[in-house]
Amino acid sequence: MDFYLNLINTIGIHTMLGLSAYLLLQTGQLSLAQAGFFAVGSYTAAILTVIFQWNILPAVLAAMLLSGCLAFLVGFPALRVKGLMLVVATIAFSEFVRMFFYNLKWRVSREGEEIGPDGTMGFAEIRYFSDNGWSNLEVTLFLWTFVIIVMGIVWWSDNSRSGAVLRAVGQDELAASSVGINLTVIKVSAMTAGGFIAGLSGGLYAHQVTSLDHHSFTVLLGTFAIAYPILGGLSNVFGTLVAVIFIQGLLVEGLRFLGDWRMILFGLLIVLAMNFKPRGLFDQQTIGIIKRLIKV
Amino acid sequence: MNETAGYYSKHSIMEDFLYEVVEITQAIWDGVLFGSTYALIGIGFTLIFGAMGKLNMAYAGAAIAGAYVGLAVSMVFDAPIIFVFAVSALVSTFMGYIVYQTCFRFIPTHNHLAALMASVGGLFLIDEVIVLATRGSPMNFPGLFEDAYFEIGPFGIRGDLIFVFFIGLVSTVVLLYVLFKTRLGMATRAVAQQEVAAQLCGINIHHTNSITFSIAGLLGGIAGAMTAAAVGVLSPVVILPLTIKGLIVTVIGGLGSIPGAIIAGLFVGGFENFFLYVRGIDERDMYVVALLFIFLVFRPNGLFSKTINRD
Repeated sequence: MDFYLNLINTIGIHTMLGLSAYLLLQTGQLSLAQAGFFAVGSYTAAILTVIFQWNILPAVLAAMLLSGCLAFLVGFPALRVKGLMLVVATIAFSEFVRMFFYNLKWRVSREGEEIGPDGTMGFAEIRYFSDNGWSNLEVTLFLWTFVIIVMGIVWWSDNSRSGAVLRAVGQDELAASSVGINLTVIKVSAMTAGGFIAGLSGGLYAHQVTSLDHHSFTVLLGTFAIAYPILGGLSNVFGTLVAVIFIQGLLVEGLRFLGDWRMILFGLLIVLAMNFKPRGLFDQQTIGIIKRLIKV
Repeated sequence: MNETAGYYSKHSIMEDFLYEVVEITQAIWDGVLFGSTYALIGIGFTLIFGAMGKLNMAYAGAAIAGAYVGLAVSMVFDAPIIFVFAVSALVSTFMGYIVYQTCFRFIPTHNHLAALMASVGGLFLIDEVIVLATRGSPMNFPGLFEDAYFEIGPFGIRGDLIFVFFIGLVSTVVLLYVLFKTRLGMATRAVAQQEVAAQLCGINIHHTNSITFSIAGLLGGIAGAMTAAAVGVLSPVVILPLTIKGLIVTVIGGLGSIPGAIIAGLFVGGFENFFLYVRGIDERDMYVVALLFIFLVFRPNGLFSKTINRD
């Protein structure tokens, strides 16, 4: 049972990570910075609960705010560069954040033992949940409450004017600016919103895994973050969720018997998926087909 | 012991300062020589970007994979080291071609996201195959002129790095010759400049692009083999840092500019080694990233803008 709860938690966190990239991807900006914001959220929330002994809710919310502000600051210069240079810039940003935390050493002595981020050794002993007697089920419910809220907000955005504006910017920047949309404002907002969500999921992640290591925050995580919305299709929130379930379920459980070959299959699957369905698994066409099937 | 103490107390601040200057110059010099490999990777990225407007994230993976195959072949056949390099380069050329066919050919031109994701998938694939084949353990890679070491005054010059630099130089000259003096090169530049017009002139886009990817693969294979030779060890963990540094070099040099990639590669090599000496390996890469940010803020188009199609 615990194993499945763990899997559900991972799916939840990765869904939020995917959704954080989703908003910015809709505007046509490919950003691999989500891993960086995720890392900032993780370390911030963990430092707050471990070193400053905060309660989990304010800690995670504070992490969210910090990541969001960082995304806002990063957004302005980063979104001045076009297309593929943004990819490189955001990769570099994520790497910088990772290296920053790799070198971060902030040890505090509490009740006889040392706690806190320990530079190259990582950040262990993030024991908020176990220290406060949370059961695994309670952790899952807590986590997924946030996931559902985030999904709801993004769903609402998709079906309201903001979604239309984001998609407009993504489809044709010139046309969008001719109808009065301020491109910079929209892009920076999308990046900030993505930063908020990534920071939130990072804060939850830190407490779920109880120990942080810089290996978790590489560019690989950033590519996972954009892989989910791209594979799932950029027109629907549930596409991202399905993609997460598919990939995480595939990697973790479904193909366990394949052992080390899983990752190879994963890479192959992405190449195939992109060749046959470049607009994602749940693009407009597929959703139309599904809707028609449901009606019949 | 007393003699030693006396010796050090006699050294002045001036001598210590000069010693530091020599060491720093040495570090920068070695870095610049090694930077020729970054330059080659940068040229590869920039060629593909110039031709298709897309980034091939699997590039460094194909380069290192070529080096591995070269190594495997040498283990089976016990061939001279030059043979290893040649095989690596050829295999990477072939892999470049494969990457084009699987990740770029069938995806619509305007869809950048899908092509990028596909090449990322290719990168995962290559990385995992290597890890599986070698069981994750690093392997020794042979180098040429490893024992050659010249001294000019207080400076030492590593023979193997000179060789790496020389190969980089030769590769670049040959590439420039192909690009600017042959019909194939003209076709590549035509496609880079304006795809539709090139097609109207009868140039087969897919054929030309696959050749571009193959040439880039060749350069990558040479770079991969040279990197492995200079470091002495081959391991899949170098793929990601090499990709990132290659991308940084490409951006700093200017996307689509070959001279930019060359200069940026050498510069980043020296810059990186300088900070390795001054701040150590943990912080070294942070400074390279910081360099990128400075360029992005003050000169987002890089040192040169797209000049691959300029005669």
